[in-house]
Amino acid sequence: MATSAAPHPDGVMRPNVPSATVRLPAVKSYEQVDREIIGTLNPTLGWFAALGIAILCLLVGILSWTYQIHEGLGAAGYRPPVMWGVYIISFVFWVGIGHAGTLISAILYLFRAGFRTSIYRLSEAMTVFAVMTAGLFPILHLGRPWKFFWLIAYPNWRLIWPNPKSPLVWDVFAILTYLTISSTFLYVGLIPDVAVLRDRETNPVRKAIYATLALGWRNSDNEWRHFTRAYLFLAAFATPLVLSVHSVVSFDFAMGLPPGWHTTIFPPYFVAGAIFSGIGMVFTIALPIRRFFKLQHYITLNDLDAAAKLCLFTSMVVGLAYLTEFQVAWMSGNPVEQEYFWNRVFGQWAWAAWIMIICNMVLPLSLFSQKLRRNTTWLFILSLFINLGMWFERFVIVVPALSHEYEPWKWGGYHPTWVDYGILLGSFGWFFMWFLLFIKQLPVLAISEIKEVVPPAMRHHPGRSEGSALPGGAH
Amino acid sequence: MQGVLGVFHELDSAVHAVEELTRGKYGELTVFTPTPRHEFDDVLARPKSAVRKFTLAFALLGVTFGYWIAIWISDYWPLVVGGKPVASWVPYTILGFEVMVLVGGLATVFAMFALARIPRLTMTVGYDPRFSHGDFGVWVTTTPERTDDVIKILTKHEAGEVRRER
Repeated sequence: MATSAAPHPDGVMRPNVPSATVRLPAVKSYEQVDREIIGTLNPTLGWFAALGIAILCLLVGILSWTYQIHEGLGAAGYRPPVMWGVYIISFVFWVGIGHAGTLISAILYLFRAGFRTSIYRLSEAMTVFAVMTAGLFPILHLGRPWKFFWLIAYPNWRLIWPNPKSPLVWDVFAILTYLTISSTFLYVGLIPDVAVLRDRETNPVRKAIYATLALGWRNSDNEWRHFTRAYLFLAAFATPLVLSVHSVVSFDFAMGLPPGWHTTIFPPYFVAGAIFSGIGMVFTIALPIRRFFKLQHYITLNDLDAAAKLCLFTSMVVGLAYLTEFQVAWMSGNPVEQEYFWNRVFGQWAWAAWIMIICNMVLPLSLFSQKLRRNTTWLFILSLFINLGMWFERFVIVVPALSHEYEPWKWGGYHPTWVDYGILLGSFGWFFMWFLLFIKQLPVLAISEIKEVVPPAMRHHPGRSEGSALPGGAH
Repeated sequence: MQGVLGVFHELDSAVHAVEELTRGKYGELTVFTPTPRHEFDDVLARPKSAVRKFTLAFALLGVTFGYWIAIWISDYWPLVVGGKPVASWVPYTILGFEVMVLVGGLATVFAMFALARIPRLTMTVGYDPRFSHGDFGVWVTTTPERTDDVIKILTKHEAGEVRRER
């Protein structure tokens, strides 16, 4: 939660905590903020159509999974030697998407990056729904999915506990912690905004729901005092959590022995990739919302420009990681590693590797141009390429390594089936269904935080009175 | 509980009123603002939130539990690999860290709820829905003898509305 325009004892303006550089010149009053943001909650025909498509995609996924449960995992295109496929690729992809939300809401909060104000709520929601989606894939990947709870450490009649040295158990701890903390972070930030909805709602049923969710929030100084502190500590916890979760996901690979996996570069490489893909998805979601909800004066070109710079930076980190992998293989003198990387780029999987390189390394370089950073059409198109490229990055990590291990007689291929594609489509349906439901029930922009950026009403001519706490000339 | 509520449309008027009420020690003050305003912090001079103490205590509890559960599981079902120790602290740091964040984070939120006295079943006296919208509220819990003085101060500072509540 932002805090704004704090007066310093010597009269110097202390900067806003996260909103120092935010300027919303077209937003004039608190009333305008309430009216325009709450106005986005009215359902439209386009929204119903989008929700219908999302549910249809989800049904395709459910149908595919039902078929897979009946037929067994072979229906999913798993064939030796490739026994990790689309499900693990999509798991890593969706966990990665889930990273940008907490990055924007927590890390950028601690770093006082003002542009987060207008996009952090939708990024946080995106995080929660992406992690909910990611969490499904390890279950889909199980031959007997109804036994998934065996991974959780709890006293049980089997007298068997999970092995705490297994990366799969680390995953369970990391993902569940991340989902819990991200959801809590989203909900805590929503409380003051839900109180706004509660106080303006006329429909008694909705009012009762909002009143319950708002927990009797009254905007008192005592509530704000504890709230801002708790929000700060949550951000401080969430920041290392973001870095740890994808590091733990990378251990699923780095703890294994297949060529290309067993490297120490994986944790930072995965974290940078996760943030990069998450920002790509933020653009995919934020730009249509900005246009259809007419929020151009909240999500400004300056905000998009700053987010695009972050996107460019993480793209270059990811690109450096790609190149470093090759350098490590080259300098290792290990023929298996060298053969694997050669096969990845010029052999069997060249098509996938080049999609990854073009989408993740080459196209984002366009963001060096300020003109393109401020071109919303290009940002949207680029974001689709980034999503595609990052899914293929995970494909390139998982499949080529398993299909091209140490023994040449074991080499093989991988052909996903309609079940794989159906479940992948279903995951997008699941994700967008929740997101679309969210944006029509709860404010997609943080009302109370945006109000901090808007100058409050002042009666007198701005000027610092003797001994007053008011900042002179600030408004 | 009885007191006086002043509703201000302008921030500076509310701050000046709070300054004068604080100086005169008219009673316990509660300020309602649609968003956190630090203009009131220096005037009200509230102590730092104690949320941090709960965060620290429960984070330490969490990290201890995270390591303990991993060590206990290893001892309960020992898997000896290559003569290495059954309980290995390096991989258990992951579990320790995750449980620290989980317990510390949730404790932070519950401490905030407890200290801010939420969930609240009733809105109690002194609240007006305008305070979540854009107006600033000043609620003074005071004795019947000083009520008129408080009303005078709030009116002097151009409160849009002043009312007694009990």
